[in-house]
Amino acid sequence: MIRPVLARREKVIPGTQAVAFVVGIAVALVLGVVLLSTSGHSPAEVYERMFDSAFMGSDSLARTLERATPLALTGLAVAVAGSMGLWNIGAEGQMMAGATIAAGVAMVADGLSGPLLIAVMMVCGVAGGMVLMLGPALARSHLGVSEIITTLMLVYVAIRVVEWLETGPWKDPDSFGFAVIEPVPEQASLPGLFGRANIGTLIALGLLIVFWLAVSRTAWGYELRLAGSSPNTARYAGISLRRKILTALLLSGGIAGLAGAVQLTGSATRLESGLSNGYGFAGIIVAALALMRPSGVAVAAVVFGAVQVGGQSIQTLGVSSAISDILQAMILFGALVAAVFFNYRIRWTGPAGQLPGDEPEEADLAVEGA
Amino acid sequence: MAKKLLLKSLVVLAVLTLVAAGCGNDDGDDEVVAAFVYVGPPGDAGWTWAHDQGRQFAEEQTGATTLFVESVPEVAEDFRAVVVDFIENEGADIIFATSFGYMDPMEELAGEYPDVVFEHASGYKMNDTNFGNYFGRMYQPRYLSGMAAGAITEANRIGYVAAFPIPEVLRGINAFTLGAQRVNPDVEVHVTWTFTWFDPAVEGDSAAALIEAGADVIAMHQDSTAPGLAAEAAGARWVSYNSDMSEFAPDAFITAPVWNWGPYYARIIEAVASDSYTPGAYWGGMDDGIVALAPLAADVPADVAAEIDEVAAQLTDGSWDVFTGEIRDQDGNAVVAEGETMEDGAMLGMGFFVEGVVGSATG
Repeated sequence: MIRPVLARREKVIPGTQAVAFVVGIAVALVLGVVLLSTSGHSPAEVYERMFDSAFMGSDSLARTLERATPLALTGLAVAVAGSMGLWNIGAEGQMMAGATIAAGVAMVADGLSGPLLIAVMMVCGVAGGMVLMLGPALARSHLGVSEIITTLMLVYVAIRVVEWLETGPWKDPDSFGFAVIEPVPEQASLPGLFGRANIGTLIALGLLIVFWLAVSRTAWGYELRLAGSSPNTARYAGISLRRKILTALLLSGGIAGLAGAVQLTGSATRLESGLSNGYGFAGIIVAALALMRPSGVAVAAVVFGAVQVGGQSIQTLGVSSAISDILQAMILFGALVAAVFFNYRIRWTGPAGQLPGDEPEEADLAVEGA
Repeated sequence: MAKKLLLKSLVVLAVLTLVAAGCGNDDGDDEVVAAFVYVGPPGDAGWTWAHDQGRQFAEEQTGATTLFVESVPEVAEDFRAVVVDFIENEGADIIFATSFGYMDPMEELAGEYPDVVFEHASGYKMNDTNFGNYFGRMYQPRYLSGMAAGAITEANRIGYVAAFPIPEVLRGINAFTLGAQRVNPDVEVHVTWTFTWFDPAVEGDSAAALIEAGADVIAMHQDSTAPGLAAEAAGARWVSYNSDMSEFAPDAFITAPVWNWGPYYARIIEAVASDSYTPGAYWGGMDDGIVALAPLAADVPADVAAEIDEVAAQLTDGSWDVFTGEIRDQDGNAVVAEGETMEDGAMLGMGFFVEGVVGSATG
């Protein structure tokens, strides 16, 4: 039987990723015209509002950046693990863990000056994300337990912990019995840039540059990618897979935890069980759009953020949230599919099975010594 | 020919644009635009549905334009985006936010837009000029629904599917239990926490588990109909919430404490239209009609139905209220002394379960 398989293109033409984005989104927007027309809306009006609300004017741009910032950080978290072929599905939970530790330290250290307190909270955010990732990382590196399941399950643990803190030990005594945690101290608010954008955006941008350089330009990054794409070669070259898995996953968890601290000191006023707001899960899509490369995460995050802002805004025009969700999903799906087809091609394999040179390039990670 | 057509279309387009632009700038002068932010979909038949009924009522009553956005997450960036769009693009004069989690960003926005009125359901913050809050004494009809449930249960065991251990929910469970005990002193109310307002799967499973454990009546503080469907499937009975949900589980349905937001919304819109709005912390009860009891099932005994009417009349004329002593907590300590009635402040911060409730008041 002849069946199709996806094979990575040997030569990726430079700039194709950008073209893929545009083509995919354009196709989705054309399909969206049908969706909007049949649901009784003017596509021109809706698209204009989508674009204006996300990009036109400094307030709109700030709104997009406000969303793109946590998306970029969680996207980077997923991409760092992904560049080694690992899947961090639990950035949502690590974000909450980071925000929780950061909120906790703000309660005891509320006498510190703003910049110092914010710095301490950021470090605690990273630590919180790493702590939640520690179990899955060790289980993956030493026992070969799939990190996909463990990271995902801990999301719900992290959210439940915040719910418990809200209704129990951290309940704000000044909230008239309502289940809310006290607001973070005034001085722990991230300084604003313009509109609703704050310096969290610059933190994310800086980190993206650091990781882009580290993954693509350093020996460490080369080893990381090598360990992911051909573990046997890596092992032969004397690279400790165990240590690489641990490092990649802990960094991934730490970055997601930082996203939580940035969100807590940025957009939010207090730690709440809804703080992560789906950004951790959306980060998986951002990383996928960026093909797991830190270099693509910034663009993917801005596109995703803009789509969310636009999708929200058109609802005040009367577009239902269901139609808006479908439209947002179509745009992202279009970009994703196009990206896949620009980077992979369909190859038909015959009944004889795989030819010697045909092994899948993304070989499973074998556990060292197991 | 083609050129002429193009020209014509351009003229039409230009005219349409001007008309549209004109519409956009006009509002706010003579007609009030009221915008609602919903936490769930109006199709939930529960919390958001009740607010949407209120919106439609107020629109008919006042002639104001009303707008809404559904399923807005309770985080600052989402809420702000919707409200700013309502104000700047749609000319909204009043924002009604219908969930607790919108409180902090609403407080900020009230400061940023002093000419817009902000009304927040179920919160505790306000200011002196343009930011008020509103809620209803749902514990009153909950007490009445407890009376009906207490008369119906044969197992003397009622299951209560509850969202979060916060004063509003505790108050409802306690009122319901006191009502049930009034007609049936042996009744126990078993509470399960779901930690969600709207999750049909979790709510349904919780109800099924309570029935499995021996409850023959299910009450709820949830926004979906799922506990009722579970009760209907198991042959148990059900007290719904938010709205009369009898059509979803006709055999199980006993009654429901329901919201009636319309008159309040109409009143606020009229106050804004006539420039007489002042913010307040509104907590109306059955006297104001913002909360009520849905019709009773046919098998509620006639004497109990008559007693429910009697108590409803007392609650409406203010001669008696639910938390009147003596009331004891789960450990048997008297929390309200004989003949005394709990103050609003104590009710709003309620943190205990009354005797007869089985479960933990802290989740």
